[in-house]
Amino acid sequence: MVDDVSSYIDDIVSMIGEDAEVEREELEKEFRRFLEYGVPPDQAKRTLVKKFSNGKKVEFRKLSEVKPNESNVNLLCRVVTVNPKEVKVRGEPRKIFYGLLGDETGVIPFTSWSSSISLEKGDVVEISNAYTKEWQGVVQVNFGERTSVKKVEDDRLPEVSHEPKPCKIADLHTAFGEVDVTVKILDVSEKEVDVNGEKKKVYVGTLGDETGKAQFTAWHDFKLKKGDVVRVVGGYTRFWKGIPQLTFDDRANVEKVSKEVEVSYKPVPLHKLVERRGGLDVSVEGTVIEVREGSGFIERCPECKRLIQNGECKVHGKVKGVGDLRAKLVVDDGTAGIGVIVGRELTEQLIGKTFEECKRIASEEGGEAVLRLLRERLLTKRVALRGNALGDEFGTTLIARDAKVVDLDVRKEALELLQKMEGES
Amino acid sequence: MRRSTAWRVFAGEYNDASAVVKGDGERVPSYVITPLGAKINRLFIVGVLTDVESLAENNELVRAHVSDPTGVFALYSGQFQPDVTKSLLEIEVPAFVAVVGKARTFEPEEGMVYVSVRPESVYEVNPDARDRWTLETCKSTLDRIEAVKEGLKLSQPNAYDLTKMGYSRDLAEGVVKAINFYRNMDVEKYVALVKEALNYLVPEKGGEELPKVDVKTEEENKESDDVDDTVLAIIKEIESEEGALWDDIVEKCMEAGLDRETVEESINSLMDKGLVYEPVLGTIKTT
Ligand SMILES: [Zn+2]
Repeated sequence: MVDDVSSYIDDIVSMIGEDAEVEREELEKEFRRFLEYGVPPDQAKRTLVKKFSNGKKVEFRKLSEVKPNESNVNLLCRVVTVNPKEVKVRGEPRKIFYGLLGDETGVIPFTSWSSSISLEKGDVVEISNAYTKEWQGVVQVNFGERTSVKKVEDDRLPEVSHEPKPCKIADLHTAFGEVDVTVKILDVSEKEVDVNGEKKKVYVGTLGDETGKAQFTAWHDFKLKKGDVVRVVGGYTRFWKGIPQLTFDDRANVEKVSKEVEVSYKPVPLHKLVERRGGLDVSVEGTVIEVREGSGFIERCPECKRLIQNGECKVHGKVKGVGDLRAKLVVDDGTAGIGVIVGRELTEQLIGKTFEECKRIASEEGGEAVLRLLRERLLTKRVALRGNALGDEFGTTLIARDAKVVDLDVRKEALELLQKMEGES
Repeated sequence: MRRSTAWRVFAGEYNDASAVVKGDGERVPSYVITPLGAKINRLFIVGVLTDVESLAENNELVRAHVSDPTGVFALYSGQFQPDVTKSLLEIEVPAFVAVVGKARTFEPEEGMVYVSVRPESVYEVNPDARDRWTLETCKSTLDRIEAVKEGLKLSQPNAYDLTKMGYSRDLAEGVVKAINFYRNMDVEKYVALVKEALNYLVPEKGGEELPKVDVKTEEENKESDDVDDTVLAIIKEIESEEGALWDDIVEKCMEAGLDRETVEESINSLMDKGLVYEPVLGTIKTT
């Protein structure tokens, strides 16, 4: 039970105004009734304010408590960034604005679809009747035709600090602006690049924490060494096919810390991987639910390595094909499915047949026989995989660099689960 | 459009489904929502193919049944899946099969929904594959039971809070739909279903000592169930179109010999069970 009910009542009274036609006792009684029903105190507060304020006073929400798919959202916040963008709406070109809004509780992205709203960076604004949506796990505020925005005095809000957001690698896809990460350097190398005709040294490599790994590019020599644990404050993230890339330069604060960081090799649930679209050197587990056509013994063009059909390359015409072995799998853990590409050596290990054996089977019984063999050995098996996962809105594909069939003791696991359930009931 | 998840669901849960979300247009898929919130467009089944029957000339429509430890899936395959139809007809029954298929529904009349599966692939497998699938499906089902319980705890079930707890977006959305659609949902039925399936995997366990269910707890449960029955009966007796006033219910129940605390507890318990709800604060109505 909430023990500071009276401070909530104070809040409510101050929001609906002293002259509201309701007794404090009445408010408290209603408030407690909500709590008895398990309604969170903040929600109970909002409901009562709405009920008794008769629309006299608008309640502004903190950005940190805004949820997706809400309508009639009222905010008092600062415009952190704002950018114009040309889009086509039903064939008509239209100018919209997008950017970030901030208050003392956080920063969230917004899009303004309304032509009548003008915003300037740094403005403190009262926003009424906005609505919210969600994109990739992040709440976004939208301004529509019903939304009104009013510029108010700057001192209504404290200056929004642009503090870099503390983040884990797995959450980088939900971060905007600068981030603050504590990571272990897994490898690093020096590279020379050409920037506007000028030679510059950059330091590239991979880093990670207990939630995942990312590539990095440092535009300044921070003397990073493999195995160092560093806190990087003020880096930016970009993504390529779901693979996070952290970039930082001399404006960032990079400092070695003595803390130990364990880089995770724990399997990621597939729905999380697919939501992030991809990942660098990830581990996953799932069941093989399909071995696709195109798996097994295949022939490639000796010139361009393209798959050839009936001894013909699309580009090079009739060629003498070079044999190869691979598996194209669909692996699904019940929460999501991904494509998996397994190369020659790993396929040999997975099916327990060498490339030469497969080649012989293909020449004696036809290519279909090798595909049948793969299906016989792999379908319905649980596999543990590791590799880079690349994804877009059409799905995620993992390029296996490690693949094993997981041995399951079904009877033992079933018995343990059963005993656990009997114990609970 | 990304590949849809191949759900692991027992026939006993799938066949109970009657909620359908229709996709509009070709690019938006349709879903069957099960009572435990599985939001199924595609599913993966391993079980025993028990019979295959041609329903139309030239095998234009074939019906087959695949059984798991909890029930039977109905499969319909037609002329648009000639390879799968052919595979089904060639397999000698009974046989263990692995099936990936799409959820299909048939609604002969308003409010009546039959679910089936349109197979996309069918392969013969061995008994180990069936056991692995059964175990995996037990685990998935338990996850969904957990998710539904979490959803019911929320004052306003919503997908956002559920995804923050770690459930997949699909499951979170499915659970919210299921809670709103299936009133009086009996989660315990599916706990029993999972136990049944697990027992199936460990038949030799028969003589083994398993922790006994606490008898007293059971009696207590029964007692509180009796109270719930009494309170529910009283609400039904005094409610109007708009429901019954909280205070009136308490008064009537106290006249019937219950103390205030027990009555309030019982009303809450009835709400948890979905037998009553509160259309307006302070007013209770039966569902
Ligand atoms: Zn070529």
